[in-house]
Amino acid sequence: MHNVAIKSKEVTLLEVLDRVLNKGVVVSGDIVISVADIDLIYLGLKVLLSSVETMEQLRGAPITGPMQEPT
Amino acid sequence: MITWKLNLTNFKGIQRLQAKQSLKMQLAEKQLIYLYCVTAVSPTLKEAVKLVSNLYFVYYVDIYAIVSKVAESEFGEESLKKNMADLEWVKANASTHEKIIEQVMAEANVIPFKFGILFRTDEGLKTMLEEYSEEFKAIFRKLENKEERGVKIYCDTEKLKASVINNESEILEIENKINSSPPGKAFFLEKKKAELLAQSANAIINEYSKESFELLKELSFEARINKLLPKEVTEREDDMVLNSAFLVSKDKVDDFINMVDTLKTHYENKSFFIDCTGPWPPYNFCDLSKQKVRNA
Repeated sequence: MHNVAIKSKEVTLLEVLDRVLNKGVVVSGDIVISVADIDLIYLGLKVLLSSVETMEQLRGAPITGPMQEPT
Repeated sequence: MITWKLNLTNFKGIQRLQAKQSLKMQLAEKQLIYLYCVTAVSPTLKEAVKLVSNLYFVYYVDIYAIVSKVAESEFGEESLKKNMADLEWVKANASTHEKIIEQVMAEANVIPFKFGILFRTDEGLKTMLEEYSEEFKAIFRKLENKEERGVKIYCDTEKLKASVINNESEILEIENKINSSPPGKAFFLEKKKAELLAQSANAIINEYSKESFELLKELSFEARINKLLPKEVTEREDDMVLNSAFLVSKDKVDDFINMVDTLKTHYENKSFFIDCTGPWPPYNFCDLSKQKVRNA
């Protein structure tokens, strides 16, 4: 179903972006990109980030249990 | 004497000119300090400088901060806002951020920072280091002999639903009724069937992802569940159903990977796909105890 050879590079980049942009320690520097601005990258991609609602729609029902981090 | 005087005048003139030029350059190419990570041992940066030439570290209160000089014209507040909307720029710079940290991680435990934390001066950076030094040290103690692994589980929901039809007697019954019902009734039965299918698939997804997470958590020091990413971001045809990260003791990494393989085998042909990556810099496990705001 998937073209693994082509996808593997993209998946790695996805993993990098998922960490570098969404995680990592935040301290107060003189300039800090705010979280809202990071969401804008995805908006720039015309993509709906965040997921919680999106996934619920995809699955057709709310996710139960502690399988989501609090937003 | 005259010659000497002339030369001196010339020399002073050149000095003044040089000072003027360097001031001009400073104004044109104002620089900021970009923070990648901190370590508790002196980094060599031997490999990392190949990626970013003006990489260096700032040592203060027993912490080494790995930083590089970047142009304000690229990373200043306004430019950054513009550049963050440029996916190619973000991809390239996020990748560099990650690669630098990975190079440093090859030598020592690191605390990785989020993309885009900048300082105007080394002094500003030192103030931050002083403020957080105790917390950083506590995190380094926790990270000792551990590494981060990422586990994402994907599900081909349509395929799962198709397999559910044959396993659920209630759904099979409805399906039989649909075939022998007039169109109006069949329409509602179809709707009922779709609902039941979604419910069953959902239950299986929750059960499998929860089970996998719990089994892997048992082999880990700490575990996190992160936001699911939509298909537009993953560019996959199946749905992400678990996005998790684990801090695993190095002596348990083999067990952890064996468990991933066991789960992989178990889920094969069940519409699930498990993707395990790492070791990663511990992005998910370096939380500061409280968010402090400087100058507040």
